[in-house]
Amino acid sequence: MMVNLVKRLFLSVAIGAAAMLLHGCNGLFSSVYDTPDTAIASEYGFVTAATDNTPGKIYVDATDYSRWVYLNFSDMSIDTLGIDDPEPKEWDIALHRYDAKTNGGAVKEEGSAEYVEDVWTTNTIVTDMSTMMDGYLTYAESYYNKVLSSWLDVDKSTMPPVYTLSGKKYFVALADGREVELRLINFMDDSGVKGYLTIEYQYRK
Amino acid sequence: MRGAITLALLCMAAGAMNADELSDRQQDSIEARWNTLLNTVVVTGTRTPKLLKDSPILTRVLSSSDIRQADATNISDLLQSELPGIEFTYSMNQQVNLNMQGFGGNSVLFLIDGERVAGETLDNVDYNRLNLSNVERIEIVKGGASALYGSNAVGGVVNIISKEQSRPWSLNINGRYGAHNSQRYGAVAGFKAGIFSSSTTLQYNHENSYNMKNSGDFTRYYGGYNWNIKERFTIAPIKQMKIIGRLGYYFRQRNAQENTRDRYRGFSGGLRGMYTFNKYNDLDVAYNFDQYDKSDYIVPTSKDVRKYSNAQNSVRAIYNHTFGGKHILTLGGDVMRDYLQSYQFENNGHKSQLTADGMAQLDMNFTDNLNIIAGGRYDYFSEAAMKHFSSRLSVMYKIDSWRLRGSYSGGFRAPTLKEMYMDFDMAGIFMIYGNPDLKPETSNNFQLSAEFTHRLLNFNIGGFCNLVDNRITTAWNQSLGGQFYSNIGRVNIAGIDANVAWKHSCGFGARLSYIYTREHVRKGQPYTSSTRPHTATARLDYGRSWKNYRLNVALHGRVLSAVTVDEYTSLTDYSDTERVRYPAYTMWRLNITQGIMSGIDLTLAVDNLFNYVPKYYYSNSPATTGTTLSVGLSVDVDKLFK
Repeated sequence: MMVNLVKRLFLSVAIGAAAMLLHGCNGLFSSVYDTPDTAIASEYGFVTAATDNTPGKIYVDATDYSRWVYLNFSDMSIDTLGIDDPEPKEWDIALHRYDAKTNGGAVKEEGSAEYVEDVWTTNTIVTDMSTMMDGYLTYAESYYNKVLSSWLDVDKSTMPPVYTLSGKKYFVALADGREVELRLINFMDDSGVKGYLTIEYQYRK
Repeated sequence: MRGAITLALLCMAAGAMNADELSDRQQDSIEARWNTLLNTVVVTGTRTPKLLKDSPILTRVLSSSDIRQADATNISDLLQSELPGIEFTYSMNQQVNLNMQGFGGNSVLFLIDGERVAGETLDNVDYNRLNLSNVERIEIVKGGASALYGSNAVGGVVNIISKEQSRPWSLNINGRYGAHNSQRYGAVAGFKAGIFSSSTTLQYNHENSYNMKNSGDFTRYYGGYNWNIKERFTIAPIKQMKIIGRLGYYFRQRNAQENTRDRYRGFSGGLRGMYTFNKYNDLDVAYNFDQYDKSDYIVPTSKDVRKYSNAQNSVRAIYNHTFGGKHILTLGGDVMRDYLQSYQFENNGHKSQLTADGMAQLDMNFTDNLNIIAGGRYDYFSEAAMKHFSSRLSVMYKIDSWRLRGSYSGGFRAPTLKEMYMDFDMAGIFMIYGNPDLKPETSNNFQLSAEFTHRLLNFNIGGFCNLVDNRITTAWNQSLGGQFYSNIGRVNIAGIDANVAWKHSCGFGARLSYIYTREHVRKGQPYTSSTRPHTATARLDYGRSWKNYRLNVALHGRVLSAVTVDEYTSLTDYSDTERVRYPAYTMWRLNITQGIMSGIDLTLAVDNLFNYVPKYYYSNSPATTGTTLSVGLSVDVDKLFK
């Protein structure tokens, strides 16, 4: 009986172990986790249109440091161009990572009374992070709206930076007199990669 | 010695008897307590059970009583409190980084009941996972131990041994509340019925994030919470056989970012069978599974996305044969499959490899005074197509109350799948590339020590020297334009280790430990080691029991000297360094535990007793905001019914 017990014990351990080793338990328990929605990743631009009662949704790939993504609210189009390329003929807002600029407009933050216009900057729009290894960053000269860009605070005093969404609404007075309300609700794609912006928008007038 | 005299005077002042006046019975009782420690069976140094006093491999044992006195939740709390030469600091992203006498986290092997732990972050296992609830003891063996344990046992082995259920039933519930809303709640339930026994452990920890008081390399401590659940059962169907099964689940969330939460999970299971054929032969076989995952919980979308998974499946067999009445031959082998999926691989890919080894050890006891251990192990790694042989020779000689030990031991660390295949874009700043052609990191470790034990006193002093070669690290590669895993040249680490422990019959006890560590560099070369040269820990305790009341007061202290380091001014060019001095500091903690009735213990702890607040928080400064208080309650429910 004793010998049988030993045999059974060691045999069961050996068979179980061999099965596990050969099969290869490749990251079990996947059901514990969520699967990123790949369909979202292929759908950029004005995903849903705003109605009088519900805000619309814009989803933008702004991961590339060397590009601006131009949004045109008139025809609900987006255009992604190189940072040195000429601007498109018609656009309202442009995004570069989390930086934002307007086409001659002004922006007011929720809770504030003041509309703030874009300013010219030479040390904000980073186009190449890799030169950080040589002790400096490469910037593009551009207009930049400081108020709208505060929708996401990026605290670079630690590594990696600490990202904090303001959660606030931003009222953008466009150059043609229309006003659109924007809120940045996410800056990551469905798998957590940063630089993908999900923006809710609603026309005010 | 002055400390001992002071304690004796304190003891007299307390109205207790002087040692000279003690009855034989009381003296015997104290000695019996010492003997309990020295007669502790240890397994880590030789992989066979040996009494601590008879182990030729110098082993430091931290008992369950030490864990309770240190009020430690996890292994990092305890090691820092009890052992000098150990420092836990922060690396990037506030990840915890171990330095044990000049060795990093990936060069110290952490085991739970002799089994490896999967997963790492920046070269360190998740120390929060190494929970100390229901732990019998921890054995620490310093120096290389690859002849027994293979890869990673370069600088030492820390083995956490679980408690065996011995009572018919037991139930402990405990809780602790402290500064920054730190909360710890736990329960341990066990029973033993006939051939079956079981022990179930549950623990929850929580701590708020909080800001530091001054500026620094880090200005905020990232809080979070974790769960640790363990089940361990034993079946002994016949006297010669024991089967141990275990299951474990671990979950931790860290709140470093508002919009993403860092999550870590551990899943483990194992089955081990031990069979004693007769007085001379026994066999131990085991299968173990351990998986460690990392995921990001994305708050805006409420999605929990896995980004890292390390799964290790291993089978092990060890056979012991006693011959000539007192010599032991140990033969063993392991096979392990190591699987790694990581966000640091190209396209979030995965890699796996098989490792296999065979080991032999001869434990020779020629006389009662002389013990010699010789062993070797041959390891094979499929992915690196690498073979490595490690050896060991240890000698212990006993003369009266002295134990003299000398040893040579080899250590090595095989390149990991991460180090071979990493392909990671570091936030657009630079790439980190793996290197499939890495050589193993090796160490040759030499130790000499003398231990003296007499009645109430235990003292040991030793010297160690580690010759480390081919250390694996990242270095800037100009042609690749990124960081590249590479082997670097030889590092020699040497030092002195001294401990004195003393107990008095009136209830006082004291322990003082000191380590001097120095890395040797060639003249003219920069001194880049951030290992503090002088570190010490001290413990002074007093314990006494009355009929329905127990009192235990323990004062723990650690002292870390300043260290001056030459740091490279650029990550891409190693021609210029600047000298940085990290300040010395000392931290003390007072624990007062009062026992009421049988089984109820109330603990009051004052941490950072002297209110140390760093002027600047370096990555090796403690994340303290000054003196803090905590209260804890532990109830052994079963004892209330006795």
